Parts: sequence; structure tokens; C-alpha cells
Amino acid sequence: MIEQFRDTIRAATSAGRPLRIRGGGTKDFYGVSLHGDILDTRGHRGIVDYEPSELVMTVRSGTPLAEVESALAEGGQMLAFEPPRLGAGSTIGGVVASGFSGPRRAATGSARDYVLGVRVLDSAGRDLSFGGQVMKNVAGYDLSRFVAGSFGTLALVTEVSLKVLPKPEVETTLAFAMDESAAIEALNRWAGQPLPLSAAFHVDGKLAVRLSGAGAAVSAAKTRMGGEVMADDAAFWTAVRDQTHPFFAEPATLWRLSIRSTAPVLGLGLQAIEWNGSLRWVAATLPAERVHAAAQAAGGHATLYRGGDRSAGIQKLAPGVLALHQRLKQALDPAGVFGPGRMHPAF
Amino acid sequence: MGKPEAISAIPAVDSHALISRLRAVLPSPSLLALPEETKPYECDGLSAFREVPLAVALPEDEAQVAAVLKVCHEMRVPVVARGAGTGLSGGALPNPLGVTLGLSKMKRILHIDPLARTARVQPGVRNLAISEAAAPLGLYYAPDPSSQIACSIGGNIAENSGGVHCLKYGLTVHNILKLRVVTIDGEILELGGEGLDAAGYDLMALMTGSEGLLGVVTEITVKLLPKPQLARVVLAAFDSLEKAGNAVANIIGAGIIPAGLEMMDKLATRAVEQFVHAGYPLDAEAILLCESDGTPEEVAAEIERMEAVMRASGATQIRLSKDEAERLRFWSGRKAAFPAVGRLMPDYYCMDGTIPKRKLAEVLKGIAQLSEEFGLGCPNVFHAGDGNLHPLIMFDANVPGQAEHAAKFGSRILKLCIEAGGTITGEHGVGVEKIGEMCDQFTPDALETFHSVKAAFDTHGLLNPGKAVPTLHRCAEYGQMHVARGKEAFPDLPRF
Amino acid sequence: METHLADFIKDTPEGQEAEAILRRCVHCGFCTATCPTYQLLGDELDGPRGRIYLIKQVLEGSPATESTQLHLDRCLTCRSCETTCPSGVEYGKLVDIGRKVVDDQVGRPAMEGVKRKAMSTVLSSPSLFSPALAAGRAFGGLLPEALRKKIPAAQRADAWPAPTNARRMVVLEGCVQPSLSPNINAATARVLDRIGISLVKAPQAGCCGAVAFHMNYQDDGRDHMRRNIDAWLPLLDGGAETIVMTASGCGSTVKEYGHHLAHDATYAPRAERISKATRDLTEVLAAESDKLVAMLEKAVAGKPRRKLAFHSPCSLQHGQQIRGKAEALLTAAGYDLTPVPDGHLCCGSAGTYSLLQPELSQQLLANKVQALTSGGPEGVATANIGCLTHIQTGMKQPVRHWVEWIDERM
Repeated sequence: MIEQFRDTIRAATSAGRPLRIRGGGTKDFYGVSLHGDILDTRGHRGIVDYEPSELVMTVRSGTPLAEVESALAEGGQMLAFEPPRLGAGSTIGGVVASGFSGPRRAATGSARDYVLGVRVLDSAGRDLSFGGQVMKNVAGYDLSRFVAGSFGTLALVTEVSLKVLPKPEVETTLAFAMDESAAIEALNRWAGQPLPLSAAFHVDGKLAVRLSGAGAAVSAAKTRMGGEVMADDAAFWTAVRDQTHPFFAEPATLWRLSIRSTAPVLGLGLQAIEWNGSLRWVAATLPAERVHAAAQAAGGHATLYRGGDRSAGIQKLAPGVLALHQRLKQALDPAGVFGPGRMHPAF
Repeated sequence: MGKPEAISAIPAVDSHALISRLRAVLPSPSLLALPEETKPYECDGLSAFREVPLAVALPEDEAQVAAVLKVCHEMRVPVVARGAGTGLSGGALPNPLGVTLGLSKMKRILHIDPLARTARVQPGVRNLAISEAAAPLGLYYAPDPSSQIACSIGGNIAENSGGVHCLKYGLTVHNILKLRVVTIDGEILELGGEGLDAAGYDLMALMTGSEGLLGVVTEITVKLLPKPQLARVVLAAFDSLEKAGNAVANIIGAGIIPAGLEMMDKLATRAVEQFVHAGYPLDAEAILLCESDGTPEEVAAEIERMEAVMRASGATQIRLSKDEAERLRFWSGRKAAFPAVGRLMPDYYCMDGTIPKRKLAEVLKGIAQLSEEFGLGCPNVFHAGDGNLHPLIMFDANVPGQAEHAAKFGSRILKLCIEAGGTITGEHGVGVEKIGEMCDQFTPDALETFHSVKAAFDTHGLLNPGKAVPTLHRCAEYGQMHVARGKEAFPDLPRF
Repeated sequence: METHLADFIKDTPEGQEAEAILRRCVHCGFCTATCPTYQLLGDELDGPRGRIYLIKQVLEGSPATESTQLHLDRCLTCRSCETTCPSGVEYGKLVDIGRKVVDDQVGRPAMEGVKRKAMSTVLSSPSLFSPALAAGRAFGGLLPEALRKKIPAAQRADAWPAPTNARRMVVLEGCVQPSLSPNINAATARVLDRIGISLVKAPQAGCCGAVAFHMNYQDDGRDHMRRNIDAWLPLLDGGAETIVMTASGCGSTVKEYGHHLAHDATYAPRAERISKATRDLTEVLAAESDKLVAMLEKAVAGKPRRKLAFHSPCSLQHGQQIRGKAEALLTAAGYDLTPVPDGHLCCGSAGTYSLLQPELSQQLLANKVQALTSGGPEGVATANIGCLTHIQTGMKQPVRHWVEWIDERM
């Protein structure tokens, strides 16, 4: 399969035709522009190595996320960053390439945080390995984490090693009636205390907070925090994670703002809050400049996640940072075959 | 130990002209150029490699950093950034044709935001000073390299430092939000953000662990975590390294992620006990330190499980830290282990290989055999939970040839680690010390890719040249040197 | 660390001692973290590891210069680095050797030499210091400011009990303390008397030798040591059990008499005996704490607790590695000790340092005063006369010897 990929890449490079790397295509809605011939990764699948006591799984990029998760579940483990499953065909390669993380992100880290190593084909078709299968590795630049979230614009990831974690012993969810402002304050206050918070979701005057960990810790926190215990919370968090919650289903235009967790209510429109306040979803059709300015003022950035004018949806990069992106793209994909324009019109 | 790689093709500069231009941009106590003043900067925590720089610049703020870099860029002079000089891979080894840029005067904690749980600090701030400043707010900075009392946060970024608690709380890269970086041409970039991710590529991942080859960090926003209500350490003794190694796998296998899981062998335990008087059992072949943190109930339950696993794995003795003072004493022994070896021998050479945990016993046995073969003592101290080994090769640099002998021993250990599916450096960085072994770990194609990345930041290769990533030329020479070991590393590269 | 000492010193006792110390250093840099001057200046040359390097260069034959002399002068000799050093490097001993070699090679400008010699002579001698102090009080306006601020108002010592107990200990009167703060030793005598120990003076003894020794008049310093040994030995022979140090700076030196006179064939064994018989007051009282604590608790029962900050002198916590003893007794005496950030750092007094390096000394003082007052104490307790007078110049609340705070409660 690697040989086949290599031939495809070399052919594209010599013809100067861009390639669009694609797994299940569940994130086609996202990004600035999609063009080029599709390079389908799904033929390259299978778990290469998984030993639960090592806390590491090495897997081919075309492997369905569902297959990865069920193997981990058998070992009592999980992908701690809870990647959203935006469709049945989601592959692990797409998970890494998008870098999307789910509800547990604020507590346990992002997709990129769990990448230990990658094997990639570059635009010259060279088979390269970066990082490794061990917990700590600082040999060479950290290109394995660097390609996470690069949407297939730097190289074709063929194999990835991920750190995995044991599933928590107990999970329970507390529900509170709170407005946005109170929820932001409460979440930040709780996050500064030794409480086993593992997720938060606020919409429409209701805050849900998930606690995960040892039974003793969870029940102690429950007493301390108050609120109502939510029934059937697993289904609720699945809906938040996979963005099937009604909040995500409705809007034609959805903005994603990643900002300082304590930033006050943005007042941009219908809003959902995750990640202890540092992720805000805004379901409203708004001028891009206004959203970007609000995000910047709150120390972060905004992206048009779904709908609207995609090319206006990305946050402007400072000139020096943009130039650096262009140089890095040029350095790693000199032929410019990997998804040009997917992340940004300029690279 | 041998000289590092012939640094690069950078020609010598008129040092008088350089110094007078630096004098124009720095206050006078911030520029050192007399030989007696520059010599104490000739090495970092790895004193086996030494080079005297042309000058040492100690800027007081970001503008001075940018000014120094501009001068060096214009004059094509190499720049080696340095934090506290505690690194163990020679990453801050000066360039004899260059300027050492020390960030030790930039050590202000600029802002702590208790609600957002962040601290904005200058690069020269000591790792531990951040946690000390955050302590009254019930917060701390999680990565705790053993040198945390002295090492700087800027240096931690350069090395992507870990520590005894990174199994649970992550490395430096997992605990920082935002960086201000000055590029070689003096431009100031802001990377990351106050949110949990940033637009564009993940430049934070690239900068962290880049060993000063891509830019100079002048400001860091770190995440702070709430201090656990309680932490306790189980100290378990074993009568063989193998049993201790298996205990480590069994603990993780039981679904426990300890806050820290560390091992020390008999030699290391004995050296350190003289300094900390922690009451370590001195007759055990290996001891494990296994920490649990959380609420009191949670800790009690987890400790019970840990003790059961240790017992089932053959622990001969189990002790639990009785109070916070004893817990800190248990850890201070572990953290002081490297320098404490200075009590046994004048010099040591600290290795940093990381291997899959299942290979622990096998690799330790291999190291013991090598120790006999080379006739040099080698206590082992390591982050067992991460599979990150720190064999400390003891030698006496005053005995001619012994430093070189120790380096050869070290190289063999790193090869063992690669063969076991691991890496040559878990957290200390490649620096100048493991530059040769990089040729074993990476293919020429991968190394070339690293060079392309470097060039995207630093076209003329002025930032910390000769470190972290070897030139292919260097690998060709290295391959020749190691041809006796059977497989030639780079058979298809031309030899010069 | 690799060393190649030069021929001029290699085979001397100092050279051999220096080499053994240097070789223990593994260049880890932990010491820089707790070095007061490195923390202020951020230059390797102003931290222990860099100074060790500077000394090593000179001992390996590079000519010493004024720059090296400056960086060694800036060292407070607080020995905080020794507490931090996991490898056991005896920095204090090394810097003594280094300073001697460097000063011998570089010398001092004539005026500075005169000033240092005068300072050493006056401060070491009660008979010179006492009238000088009286004159200073009278004509304060004529003195440089750094010195003027240090002159406290004249103090009265309360009664010294008659030596009626069977157990006896000798107190070192010291050079500046009897003039500056005569009540310290009197308070010590009263506290000891209450637990059945008489404190006696040795009239022939004088300065412990530290002032001259650390200003690099090492021969003068050794003369002071021999004189004290001669004064104390008869008292030890006569049944005194201990030589009590009420200034930790002196204690740290007297405990090292054995080391300083190791190469004096006649005095080496006597010096060793004196060092072994010497205890800081904290150690003396801690050893009697069963009796003392009971008395203190009885004395303060029902009285409101008071807030004090404890400043542990470097010569106590680093030089003598004594921690927690005075603090425990103060707590028993009804004082709550407020937290003091960076308690390991020097106050900037450091013997004659406050006079010779006023700028750094004042910065350290300002930081120390802020740390000591941060918990809102009514006063400060400490264990060394140098720190006491120095810190008092920076704050309004009283700074007193800890034994005086205890005496007051009994």
C-alpha cells in the first residue's frame, strides 16, 4: 500500500497536480478550499502494535476510528482526547490530521498531545519516521506533533503511534441552572481546585459538568459542587463529543472561538461553552471581522467551523507568522502537492 | 571527550568589530569578553564538552535580545542561547566563533492569573520559582525536571523537559500556551495563544524541544494546575532489578497512572542517601518510588491498589511516606541523584535513553554487562513509568582516556535503546553529546527534512549550529567510525 | 570535574585541599538557584559555580585579575550553596583559598588596603570598637551613611546572675556584640541560670578571628584564634562543659578552628578540642529543652500568643547546618512564627560585606525586610549580631536576638 501511495505522490509531484488526502471524508465541510485528486487512505488499515501496559497503540492511518476505539475498550483504555466522530467513516488518520479534540480536552489534553510518533510519505515519496513508540522522545524536531492538525497539507501520514490511557473508574455528570456569565466564572473556579472535572458543556442556561476518576474522588467532588446528577449522561456526552447535540445540528453558520477561559460573555449570539470556558461555539451569521476581533481581544482566535464564506472564516495570521508558515510549507512540501489552500489561501 | 563536530562552514568574524557593535546595544555589565570572564561559560551541566565563546551577552530585556540577534545575523555570527546552564547534553556548549546569549538576567514573573490558571514569565525564571510563586494561590507548574531548583523555563522549552511527574501531567509541550520568540533576524513572533489551540500549524510543538536552533524564546505563558489535596509516595524495595521492572509494568497494566513512578538501583540509592538521609533501604537491589495524588479518599484507595501490586510483584519491603516532609525527602533524594554521584566519583556521564517498558529488564541486564566490559561503574536512576533510563556512567576525567572510554560506553547504551525500539533521548536533548547517535536513529532523508525545517527559520544556520541535528557529512564520518560494529550506518553516502 | 592544578600550588596543603574540593563539583548548577548574588545579578560569574570556575582558572595557572577579585569580593560567603550542593562541595573552604591566592597576585589599591585593614582591626577589637562606637554615637554626622545607620542607640544590659550553679559554660564575649547589644549575653546567662547552668566569661578571649580571616588577613585571624584557645583551655580544664556561642557567625568560625589551625603543629590538637566543645546557643538550649519548654509553657500559659518572624542567619543554617531549634523554642515561648519567603537567602550583612559591597547589600536587605515583614510580625528574632544590626537599619519593628525574646517571656 505504501508503494501505491508513493507512486501516486510521485506522479502528482511530477505532474504538478495537487492531492487531497482523504479518509472517511467526515471533515470535508471544514477548511478553506478542497481541491486536487483524492488520495484515499482507507486501504491502509490495521493496528500494528498495541500492548496495554505500554499505554501505546501504533496504527495505520486508514484504520477506522471505530476499530481503534473498540480495540482500546477491550484493553480497558481510551483515546483520552475524545476525538469527535463526525461520521461513521472517520479514520484515525483524519483524527490526527484534523487535530480535533472532544470534551475531555481541557482536562487531559489534545489530539496532538497524544501523538508520540508518525510515519509519513513526503512530497518526494520518501518514507520518513519521526517521534517513536515511547512516552518521551526529544530526538530531532517534534515533527510528529507538528503534522497533527495540519490537514494533510505537509505530508501523508501513513502510521501513527498514540499514547492511550485507562478509562476512568467512574463517571458522573452534574447539572446546574446558570447563565453564561455564572457558568464561565464557576468553571474557572472549579478548574483551579483539585476536582476531577473531565468535561463541561453550557448552553441555554444549563451547565453540565462531568466528573471522572476514582469512585472516592468523584463522590467527594459531587458533594462539594452540588448540582443535580444527570441521568443517562453517557448519551449526552456522546452527543456533545460527536456534535450531534441539537445545538450543533441547527445552525447554518457555526463559529468556533478558542480563547482565554475567563473571557467574559462575548455577546455574539447563541453560544455554547466547552473546555472550562476556553472553547466557545457561536451559532450566528456574523461579519468575520467582528468575530475575529472578539476572539483576538480574548487572547485567542476564531474559525468559521461550518457554513458561510470559508475563505473569510480563518483568523488572520500576523505577517511574520504567516511568512513562517509559507516557508515551512515550502520546506516540507516543496512541490506543493498536499492540499494547497485547505488551511489557508497562502499555503 | 572529543571536540564536537567541526562546527560548520561559518567563517571567523572580526571579534573586535563584533564586540564593539554588541557594546553599543548592551549595558556594560551585560557583555563579557575577557577570556577569564567567558571561560566560566565554556560548558553547561555536561562539563565534558567545553568551548570558550567570543563573547557572552546577558541582555536584560527582549529589545536587547533582538538587538544582539540582529548584530549577529548581520555579521553572520553564530548564537548559542543559554538558560541556567544545567542541561546535560551540551545544548548550551558555546560556539568558539560565536556569541553565547544568556537569558539569566531575564527572570521576572510578569503576571499570574489565578482564575485563568496561567503565569506569564520571562525565560530566565527558574522552573521551581513558578510553582513557589503560584503556591499561595493553590496552583503549581507541573513539569518538574530533577534540576527544577535551578533550571530555567526557557531552557525547559528548548529541551521539552520532563520530570518525575510527567507520566501523569505531561512534558513541557503539554503545559505551555503561548511563546514570544525572537528570530535570528530580530523579528518578534507570538506563537500559540491564551486559548488551548492556535490558528495555523502547531508552531508551539515545533519550537518546544528545538534546542535553540529555531529562535530565542523571550516570554512564556504556562498553564498552572491546582495542587492536589494530598500526595503520598509508596517506597518499595526489590531484591532484583527485574522484579522492580516487572512491578512497573504491572502497575500500569492494572490501569493505574501514578503521579510519579521512579526507580533507583542500589548504587544510586547509596550515593543519594549520604546527602538526603531519606531512609532509603540500602540493601535493596532496586527501589521504586510510586506516588498517588488526589483527594484523601482517592489516594487511600489508590495506595492500597499500588501496594497490592508491588507485593504481588515481589517487593521485599514497602513504606509509605508518613507526611509531606517525608514525601518531599523521598523525592529530593531522587532529584539530587545525579549530582550526588559526584560523591562517589569525580565525573559522571548521564544517559537518557527511553525504551518500551516491557524491555526494561532486558536493557538493564545489557547495561550491567556493558558496565563490566568497560570496567566503569554505572548506577541507574530512571523514570520507570515512562521507560526513560538515566544510567550514570562514572569516571575520572583526570585519568587520561577515561572520558573517551565513558563516551564509548554511553554510545553502546544508546544503541541498546534503539535496538529495543526506543530513542536516544527522552528529555535531555541531543545537544552535542548524542549528535552521532542521531545518525543511528534517523535515516538521511529524515535528517534532511530536519535541515529544511531549520532553514525555514534560520537560513544561514546561525542559531546553535552543530547541535541537535547532524549534517549528513557528519553521519558519513560517524558511519565510518562505527563500521566495526558490523552494519555500516550510511553505506550510500560519500565519505569525505 | 577535571582539574590540572599549576605547579605553584599543586603540592601545598591549600592546593591539595582545593583540588579535592574542585573534583567533587560536577557542574550541575543547582547552587546558582540559592545564591543571593546570582539571583540578583544573573551572571554565572556572580554565582558559586562560576566563582569555582574563576578560582579553578587561577589555581590552574591563569593570572588572576581585578575582574576575578571583584566577583570573589561580591560573594557573601553565606554558604547557602553548600546546603544546596548534592555533591558535597565545600565552597566556603575553597573560596578562602581562592581569595588568598587572588589577593596575593592582584593586591589592593593603597587606600582600599588601608580601609580594609583599619576595618578589620577595629571591628576585631572590643577595646578599639567600643570607644569608636561611642565616638560614632556622638559624632554620627561625620561617618559614611552605610556605617552611620548601623549605630544603634546605647543599650542597657539587665543583671547577670552570680555563678552559683554546679554546671558551668563559657560564653564568647565577641568583639562588637558587647558594645552594640550587651543584653544578649546577659539574657543568655539568665535563661541558662534558670535551668541550672552558670554562664562565665573568659576575659582574655576576644574576636573569634572571622573578621580578619574573611577579609583575607588570614594570619591575623589565626592569631585571634590562638589567643582564644589559650583563654578557654584552662576553663575547660576547670570543668566548664561547653563554649557557648551567642552569635552564630562566631560559632561557625570557632567550630572550624580545628580546620584553620590544622597545619599548626602546636595548636592543631588544642584547636580541635575547642571546636569539639563549642555549641551554638540553639544547640545548648535544645539539648535542655525538656526542662526549658516546660518552664516556658508554664510562663506563657493563658497569655496571648504574639507574632514574630525568625531570620535564620546563614552562619546558623548553612555554616552550622542548624535548623528548627530556635524556632521550636520560640514557639514554646508563646510566639507564632510568620512565614518568611526565601528564608535561605542572606540578609546582606555578611560580616563586613555591608560596608564593602553596599549596593548589593542594600538590595538584599530590602528583599529580606520585605520577606520578614510580609506576615505582619511585631518584631524579628535572629541569632547573629551582624544580621541583627543590619536588618534593624531596614525596619521599624524591633530586631532582637531570639534569646532576648525568650528571656522576656520568662
